[in-house]
Amino acid sequence: MTVDWWLEPFLLGFQQRALIGGLIAAVMTSMVGVWIVLRGMSFFGDAFVHGVTPGIAAAILLNFSPYLGAALAAIVMVLLMEFVHRQTQLKEDTAIGLLFVGMMALGVVIISLSRSYAGSLTGILFGDVLGVSWSDIQAQAIIAALVILLSLVLYRPLLALAISAPKAQTLGMAPKLTHALLLVMIAGAVIGSFRSVGTMLVFALLVGPPATAAILVRTVRQMMVLSLLISAFTVWFGLILSFHLGTAGSATMALLAIVIFFVVLVVRMLVRLLRHRQTQEVTV
Amino acid sequence: MSTPEYSIRTEHLTLAYEDKVAVRDATFQLPWGGVTAIIGPNGSGKSTLLHAIAGTLPPRSGSLSLGGGTRNRVSYVMQTVNVAPGTPITVREVIGMGRYAELGWWRPFRTTDRKRVDAAMERLGITDLAGRHLSELSGGQRQRVYVAQGIVQDHDLLLLDEPLTGLDLVSARVIDEIIHTESAEGCSVLVTTHDLDEARAADNVVLMAGRILAYGPPEQVLTRANLAAAYGLGSLHESGKDFVDDPAHPDEVSDPNPDRSR
Repeated sequence: MTVDWWLEPFLLGFQQRALIGGLIAAVMTSMVGVWIVLRGMSFFGDAFVHGVTPGIAAAILLNFSPYLGAALAAIVMVLLMEFVHRQTQLKEDTAIGLLFVGMMALGVVIISLSRSYAGSLTGILFGDVLGVSWSDIQAQAIIAALVILLSLVLYRPLLALAISAPKAQTLGMAPKLTHALLLVMIAGAVIGSFRSVGTMLVFALLVGPPATAAILVRTVRQMMVLSLLISAFTVWFGLILSFHLGTAGSATMALLAIVIFFVVLVVRMLVRLLRHRQTQEVTV
Repeated sequence: MSTPEYSIRTEHLTLAYEDKVAVRDATFQLPWGGVTAIIGPNGSGKSTLLHAIAGTLPPRSGSLSLGGGTRNRVSYVMQTVNVAPGTPITVREVIGMGRYAELGWWRPFRTTDRKRVDAAMERLGITDLAGRHLSELSGGQRQRVYVAQGIVQDHDLLLLDEPLTGLDLVSARVIDEIIHTESAEGCSVLVTTHDLDEARAADNVVLMAGRILAYGPPEQVLTRANLAAAYGLGSLHESGKDFVDDPAHPDEVSDPNPDRSR
């Protein structure tokens, strides 16, 4: 591989914007994804990223800001989950499952109202990383700044919450408020990333790099840093691969995030196996 | 500063989870300092009472007041804290969380805070475990970590929910020493237990069965009549007389450590 192979994908303006947009998405999703993985909220996160679809679809159909539409859909989804939780004794995952399907279906129904917007469905679900504009990047950067600020402010409350909500409360860490703010962070990461990565594929960045980091490190801080590095690598190398292979940019990045997880998992397994054998040989 | 008149005082306190009342019309007062054992069958409201004292469960009715100051001087070591295996949080970080109550959301750790954490680990004999994850520890080691977290927090009142249940001999002995050291240093310690020996060794006992059946010095509270009222007739073993059967959970109240010594 020549130097050109690595540099060529980023020579054009739209490709540079794709890289910047993708990297901002990587930062946001890493900061939030660590807590999603630590608190076992992956199913919620998955439902959440699909749940914003009707808001974005309605925004495109009625010609208002898709960011506003996604935010409204996220609020509606959380309120409905809370409603089901308060009114029934069903477990939380049931409410999540109901809203997951319901909101996703509503999004498709809204889009299907107009044939001319059929192409928008692909854009919403799978993103269009090569179509990212400077105004998209500006909006993304503002949202990213808020998400990063919240992540820093909430580090201790979220760490305590990852141990136990009642314990967090006795330590003055306000677990209910912390959880609510984590939902805001998830919403921010999803809304801020859907343009470049798409609502379906943003989940890969939310869970893939943090999960990969979790199996390699000893502390949450290390997990955040490594997750960030893996995310950034995923975006950068995913764009290079998509350029040379002629594949969809967003999907290539999402797939790469998952592939990296399994490669690391298998390598770690092999390393452990090798160490175990070496230990046995020394013992013998 | 003079010693407060009481550590905990309740008047007609009722505690409930949604429509299920766990503690009904409890009125009692515990003196400041010393060790108080809360004893009663499973489901008698012992843990619920600790939750209320720690401020994690508001009273349904009645009142609960703490002597000597505000609730942020209460440290609560819970019975069960289930941390998912593989969670990348080290023993040192878990114990350091005890300082969060003082430091808040973002004030940085000071040298004194780090020294407090080191000292707590040394007292509990877990210094060598500082870099381990909770999932890499035995049950007894984990319990010592949570007790260390509890004593690292600034406190006048230390609540421990069944701290010795199911522990190995070494862990039980270390935690038992902590309980009595904390008391000797002027802290009020509340311990829930199923162990009659442990309750008899306390300065005060609260006997519960969904309400307060009796409270006061052990010899006045742990009478055969009171225990029969709490656990039902025939619950007290004739042989050892050290443990009581819980009719609702007979398997959960067996002696975890028959050789445990104080």
